[in-house]
Amino acid sequence: MSAEIDPFQLEVIRHSFDAVAEDMSLTLMRTAHSGIVRDSLDFSTSICDALGQPLAQGICTPMQLGSFYDAMRRLIRDYAGRISPGDVFIANDPYEAAGQHLPDIYVATPVFDGDRIVAWSTTIAHHSDVGGIVAGSNALGAEEIYQEGLRLPIVKFVEAGRRNQALWDVIAINVRTPDKVLGDLQAQMAACMSGEREMKALFARYGTDTVLRYADHLHDYTERLTRAELREIPEGTYHFTDHIDGLGANPEPVVLQVAVTIRDGSALVDWEGTSPQVKGGINPSFPFTKACAYTAFRSILKADLPTCHGFARAIEVRAPLGSLLNPTFPAPCGARGITGYRMIDCLLGALASAVPDRVTADTSGGSTLPTIAGYRDGKAFVFCETFMGTWGGTSAHDGQSGVPHMGANQSNVPIEMIESDYPIRIERYGLVPDTGGPGRYRGGLSLTREYRVLNDEAILNIRSDKRRFPPHGLFGGGTGAPSLNLINPDAENRLLPVLMTEVEKLRRGDVYRHIMAGGGGYGDPLDRDPADVLADVIEEKVSLGHARDAYGVVVLPGRPPCVDDAATQALRARRRAEATGAGA
Amino acid sequence: MNTVSRIAADIGGTFTDIAVVLADGRIATRKLPSTPPEFARAVVSGVTGLLGELGAPLAGIEQVLHGCTVATNAILEYRGARTALLTTRGFRDVLELQRVRVPALYDPLFEKPRPLVPRRLRFEVSERLDAEGNVVAELSAPDVQSAIAAIEAEDIEAIAVCFLHSYANPAHERRVGEMIRAALPDRFLSLSVDILPQKREYERTSTTVINAYVGPPVSRYMRAMIDDLRAAGVGGRLLVMQSSGGVIDAESVVHKPAQIVECGPAAGVIGALEISAASGYRNVITLDMGGTTAKASLIEEGRLSLAAEYEVGGGMSSRSALAGGGGYALKLPVIDISEVGAGGGSLVWLDKAGALKVGPRSAGAVPGPACYGAGNDRPTVTDANVVLGYLNPEALAGGSVPIDASLSRRAIETHVAAPLGRGLLETAYGIHQVANTNMMRAVKAVTTYRGRDPRDFAMFAFGGNGGIHAVDLARALQVREVIVPVAAGVFSAVGLLFARLEVNEMAAFLRSVADARAEDAARVFADLKARIVRLLGVPEAEIGFEPQADARYKGQGFELTVPLANGAHEAPTRAMFDDFAAAFAAEHVARYGHSFNGAFPVEIVNLRLVGTVRQERPPMVAWVPGAGRAARPETSRDVYFGAAHGVRRTPVIDRAHLDGVARQGPFIVEEYEGTSVVPPDCTARLDAAGNIIIALP
Repeated sequence: MSAEIDPFQLEVIRHSFDAVAEDMSLTLMRTAHSGIVRDSLDFSTSICDALGQPLAQGICTPMQLGSFYDAMRRLIRDYAGRISPGDVFIANDPYEAAGQHLPDIYVATPVFDGDRIVAWSTTIAHHSDVGGIVAGSNALGAEEIYQEGLRLPIVKFVEAGRRNQALWDVIAINVRTPDKVLGDLQAQMAACMSGEREMKALFARYGTDTVLRYADHLHDYTERLTRAELREIPEGTYHFTDHIDGLGANPEPVVLQVAVTIRDGSALVDWEGTSPQVKGGINPSFPFTKACAYTAFRSILKADLPTCHGFARAIEVRAPLGSLLNPTFPAPCGARGITGYRMIDCLLGALASAVPDRVTADTSGGSTLPTIAGYRDGKAFVFCETFMGTWGGTSAHDGQSGVPHMGANQSNVPIEMIESDYPIRIERYGLVPDTGGPGRYRGGLSLTREYRVLNDEAILNIRSDKRRFPPHGLFGGGTGAPSLNLINPDAENRLLPVLMTEVEKLRRGDVYRHIMAGGGGYGDPLDRDPADVLADVIEEKVSLGHARDAYGVVVLPGRPPCVDDAATQALRARRRAEATGAGA
Repeated sequence: MNTVSRIAADIGGTFTDIAVVLADGRIATRKLPSTPPEFARAVVSGVTGLLGELGAPLAGIEQVLHGCTVATNAILEYRGARTALLTTRGFRDVLELQRVRVPALYDPLFEKPRPLVPRRLRFEVSERLDAEGNVVAELSAPDVQSAIAAIEAEDIEAIAVCFLHSYANPAHERRVGEMIRAALPDRFLSLSVDILPQKREYERTSTTVINAYVGPPVSRYMRAMIDDLRAAGVGGRLLVMQSSGGVIDAESVVHKPAQIVECGPAAGVIGALEISAASGYRNVITLDMGGTTAKASLIEEGRLSLAAEYEVGGGMSSRSALAGGGGYALKLPVIDISEVGAGGGSLVWLDKAGALKVGPRSAGAVPGPACYGAGNDRPTVTDANVVLGYLNPEALAGGSVPIDASLSRRAIETHVAAPLGRGLLETAYGIHQVANTNMMRAVKAVTTYRGRDPRDFAMFAFGGNGGIHAVDLARALQVREVIVPVAAGVFSAVGLLFARLEVNEMAAFLRSVADARAEDAARVFADLKARIVRLLGVPEAEIGFEPQADARYKGQGFELTVPLANGAHEAPTRAMFDDFAAAFAAEHVARYGHSFNGAFPVEIVNLRLVGTVRQERPPMVAWVPGAGRAARPETSRDVYFGAAHGVRRTPVIDRAHLDGVARQGPFIVEEYEGTSVVPPDCTARLDAAGNIIIALP
């Protein structure tokens, strides 16, 4: 048979790969046990070729885009000649398994054709707990990886169809929520089996060698398409600097600095100038640093790109060894998600001047990750959710509220589910007026959520920032409101450190209120249509005072309220004159 | 003289399809332009015309079966009632925040659908329950009164009420309901405990809001339809299709109008179920391919597949939990139908790296495919089918739509074949195959994604383009038989004729199977039965009941609906629940490849009861194909069947030319309602009911 590639067959096989990966995702979601997997959907599934290069990904969490390749390459290298049908591999360690962070556990199984490995069916899922000093295994205060929980090198979880019971028992005794962790691991295995079954059907239908040949070509095609897209971005080097507020009671800002060079259909992302690695759980492993760069680029490119490895070939990522974004052993990584979100925000900040119509002003900065945990009737409970989110304005519309970060398409956890499963009552969940960054297109409003503890004792751990460096605006738009974490807001009203390195101890009846940051504005707020400001006032999203102060729009209260056109024109003229005067 | 007692009217935005069944089992159909806003006019003129031709009196009509778009369009076009929402204090934004997830990754320019109730019409009331239904804070009557006062001042037509944990204790919602009814008796009121007494506040709130939002327009529509039909002498009961596939009295629809939002596609699946069952098929994949989309659904062991939830609005309706967030959650029983943007009008294009793409953009009916010569010069799937010879090169729809095949050739040559450096026929065949691949996603969504193997099913193809693509799609899925029914182009109306009077009601029943006490279940089922008897409006003896339960392993977040033993609703026993646990585990294995038996207990979440009125079915007798229309002489044309078979001189025939003896392909069956392609390696015959049965090698 000729080695010619038929473009029609390519499209057919590409869709077939996508369908297999999607099928795996549905299986994983529907059989999972923890809220973070089944409701927040913090997992991904992938079909990889024999080299471990992803062919398709059932993506729930874009930040996991490209997160399979390094781990799979390591597995294939380490186990060369020792892989059998019916093996299921498991791993999580950033250093010994090219993993992400300890809560993200990979489960992978080979797909055989005779005695030849022809593909891999793989999954990664964020587990509710893997042990360590803080429940949920996201300790910001960890100073070395040993404090973060159970480290799993690449090991056989199932060997030729037989459970490695010793390993199951070790995991069960080391995690605070063994039912959920083992339940989710079985859901991951079910997804792997579904992927294996479907891939075998695909090989049977088109012939193994034909499918493999098209799989190779899929990478080339995707690389070509990615480069064609990159050529549409004006060439040049684009810089941006962003920050993480810093750790603990006296936070020292952590600097992220990027230079993005677009040239001749390729992109170079260079993080030179970024802070060194820190003694705190926010160091992303380098595979994760790469995944975040892929996510940022994927979101500004318009084409329907296959989520295969060919995409990554057009994008080179560099970060100095020993820096925050390419740390060395034993840097802790548990809460590195926040750094991932910040990398994406920083990259989109840099790319805003290249593609102003493809980005939003800055977002609330990714999920807030509150953990409330303790012991009830002698049994551990660990409540943890990824709480999101708000976007900045764009060149065409206002920032959206109640949306995930670009890096993680996750759901909220239903309040009625939380209250059924945990000794927690949610007292408030909603939008906060006047928090969107002012702009011609307003930033999305902050969200707030209040948690009341109904257990005698519980600990609280929070990953959240954007207080000292709130979401930036673009092209004259203002910053969004900063984030806040408060204890008992109606009594002591105590403000917590922004990225706490020590857990907060709570007692029955205590309330924790989270207010996330608001989205940045896009364009000059004095150019916002007064009718849009009025609509916001009527919708109780902007107050009369904020309409006047931030937008120069005078709204007269009443039933219904209306804009005082003359007063608005006069006020805006005065503001513009002041701005020009100040600038002169 | 003929008599016609059942007539069906499927009203869409553009066309109204009428189908009637005669006493001897024959079906007659008619297609007319719709007549908004007086939709009944097209029905009356279609029915009087058709019955006039058949010599059947209007007075004989006992049932008018109806599918409509009033509820869907109210949502898609934001033309529902001005609606207010009462929520627990602190939670008025649950509706607007939705579940946070977005339907498309990597799209910073995504905009969420705007909430059906604006923020300032969402009123918070102090009250609070815990997850067990215990009162944490008493209901504040003054809060309710002030919300009522604000609603009165605001010219509100409909009110939705949804409090946290009301599924566990309806008292607060009920009290608010009484206060609102007393103060504002003419407003349309929906309490979440009546609409969806289930955990998950966003889904419950959204479903209740949709119900309130579509309530007034649906009530007005039904009233007008009943009055207008009666005034024109078209009597009988008006029965309306629900998303779950059963019909219900127009008067009862108003009890839960959100239940008819997806009634359009449901009717076709019901038709497929009945017609395939009558021909002896119990396992069928339905494929409905029209101009802009293709829809697939699964019939297994003679039963419909229902989905627990879906989304409406924000573009295409979606039942995929992974693609959520683009519309409004509606968690009422719905036939599990998956939809992809691949139809005859889907546009064909090349991406920047030279890959061939089909859809999702469509040339629609206007300007339509390039061959219409109406202003679109880009190729569509229909143009590829014209070039391949599958479609008549001179006119479509039985000669009623003239086309210019040279425009199809030019469009494909210029925009696809030349840039790819490929031959015209090869390219057209490639387009045909890629369109099939897109449709395969829809079929997989209802089969392999649910753990079903398509090879165990036959394919039932309808819609204008179903018969053109079905065989190649079946081949890709290793399906061995394709059924193309009569009247495939007005098939939803035909389907309505077969619909059963049926309702599906549920109640929360949260406990592990081991703890389920028979007497508790009996009490819940008694309530459900009373509700169903009231809704169906017939004596209990005429109703067949099927008890079911929604269950999961403890700790999971998604349920499977599995039948309970016959009679479990009358006299549940311990043994029935044990059997149920085993049946649940079997279904879990079928879908996901494993069970958690021993590791986690099985937990029931809801009890369901489906009530179906036993009634005389229209008899299925030999369909007389082409009756009243003389069969045209056989013709032939050149048709391309891919590299393996090349171009073949292919007979073009009427359905009337086929009989019970299998005829070897290649040939093409051309009819007013659609075209069926039988490739060289397949055979086809007619069965007793007039269906074309195509056998693949």
